[in-house]
Amino acid sequence: MHSHTKCTASRSYHALALLAVLLWMVGGVDAATPLTVRVAYVGPAESDSLAGARQGIAEGNAQGKFLGLVFELTDSRDVATALASAPVAVLIDLPAADVMPSAKQAAGVAVINTGAEDDPLRARCAPNLLHTLPSAAMRADALSQWRQKSPQSQASAHAWHWRAEMYAGAQLNKRYTDKTGRPMSDQAWAGWAAAKLVTDTAARLKSADPAALLTALREDLAFDGQKGVEMSFRPNGQLSQPLLLVEQDDIVGEAPVRGVATDLDSLGTGDCAP
Amino acid sequence: MTSSKLALTALLAALALDAGAATGRVFVTNEKGDSVTVIDGKTNKVEKTIAIGARPRGIGLAPDGSEIYVAVSGENKIAVLDPKTLEVTRSFPSGDDPETFAVHKDGHLYISNENDAKASVYDPKTGKLVAEIEVGIEPEGVAISPDGKRAIVTSESTNMLHIIAIPENQVVNNILVGARPRAATFSADSKLAYATSEIGGEVKKVDVESGTILGRMSLADDKAKPKDVLVSRDGKQLYVAGGRANTVFVLDANTLEVVAQIGVGKRVWGLALSRDGKRLYSTDGADNQVSVIDTEKHSVTAKVATGEAPWGVVIDD
Repeated sequence: MHSHTKCTASRSYHALALLAVLLWMVGGVDAATPLTVRVAYVGPAESDSLAGARQGIAEGNAQGKFLGLVFELTDSRDVATALASAPVAVLIDLPAADVMPSAKQAAGVAVINTGAEDDPLRARCAPNLLHTLPSAAMRADALSQWRQKSPQSQASAHAWHWRAEMYAGAQLNKRYTDKTGRPMSDQAWAGWAAAKLVTDTAARLKSADPAALLTALREDLAFDGQKGVEMSFRPNGQLSQPLLLVEQDDIVGEAPVRGVATDLDSLGTGDCAP
Repeated sequence: MTSSKLALTALLAALALDAGAATGRVFVTNEKGDSVTVIDGKTNKVEKTIAIGARPRGIGLAPDGSEIYVAVSGENKIAVLDPKTLEVTRSFPSGDDPETFAVHKDGHLYISNENDAKASVYDPKTGKLVAEIEVGIEPEGVAISPDGKRAIVTSESTNMLHIIAIPENQVVNNILVGARPRAATFSADSKLAYATSEIGGEVKKVDVESGTILGRMSLADDKAKPKDVLVSRDGKQLYVAGGRANTVFVLDANTLEVVAQIGVGKRVWGLALSRDGKRLYSTDGADNQVSVIDTEKHSVTAKVATGEAPWGVVIDD
């Protein structure tokens, strides 16, 4: 009796293995030889950018497992260490003064700034430097649009808010908070967006080549940042996006502010310094 | 054919018609009204508003027309309605946050569970879970091929169409499409699928077996956030709910060129087509109404007030 049970178990194991092979052969989930794609994070050991990036990588793997890709996030304090792992892109959360040197050091590899909002960093237009965090100018334009409608408002402009619900914002907030136990901040969104747009683009390219990724990010991106519009990078590397107007920890409006402006281009600029 | 045989055939046809006598009613889920609006398909008058539970979204008809199923998202269940008596007869648990579903011709429901990254298959007769299928993040649209051999589940936040083999209930292919794919439908021969991407603002035509993308059409109106998609009964046209474009787009099913735009109410999401293909219903979510469209004239013939935020629509015909 005992040996009979064992035999059945082993047979069904073999049947399962055979089924897996058959599924692979008919062109189903290509999990046999996954392509490993590394994404590097450079910044403080603990940061909202990093927590967001981890969330984005987890979502990238939820996609990649169906397409034969595995994404790995490396976490280091400096760019040199990050580059040693041959990443497809580098996400940074560094002081403004360290952003341009990092981009230079990683020439040819997309460096995505998730932590500094300084406008001059955008105006420099380094070919491999991209920004998912909104610039200071974008936030100022959002506020000025909002004040035309509500002059007394004390609102501030943000990339994200933990109360965002529309456009599946509620689902993203739930995924992030379930994992981290924290509300999703602007920087967490910027880290998530950077990792997610890298993984989605690498999945479409089926490639870990940094040059191909950088070209696709600059030229072909149509990213769903869960804010209701398709997002792409401007010529100066800034991700165009709507902003949320927040007062007393609640969302009171969205920019471009309806009735004042219509276009995402009304927030900040895509221009390079002359 | 002899006259007696002819008479017998006519009698049998009449009996068959009577046995499956459809009510002709149109059923609409009201996402924020927590109700189902029942509309008389002939007069366009509201017959009844049925309290159904929190956040009803997907709605579907049993293959024999005997039952209406409603995904009550906020209560993690499927409610069952009798289309004749308009009573809620029972409900069964459906997994976390059921958003929408499609009904297989064998009666099983294929349900997308938005928060769980999976699709689940339920037998509504027993209320039992038949299978769970792992898919991408935020699964949304579900379609089943007319031959019953394939299902498509769209994953909105991982931008894929997951092709599922039936009855194995296994994912056999994954097709990357534009951002936030929301709905899909099959051609009558089950070989082609059409899918909308809400943020990408596009419609894609796909060969189901190979997974090859055969065509793409970007809807020029940048407010267009396409949602539901249906094929006309003759297979020659597609109807696409244009979301915030407040328009139903009519596309050539072969070339995907836009051949007509029908202005409806605000934030149009759900679509249903009559069996004869002559009437199309759209749920205009932000206007709390359903538009009734004449598919030959490409014009709206009636607007019917519903509950708050109408989402899904199905016709018992």
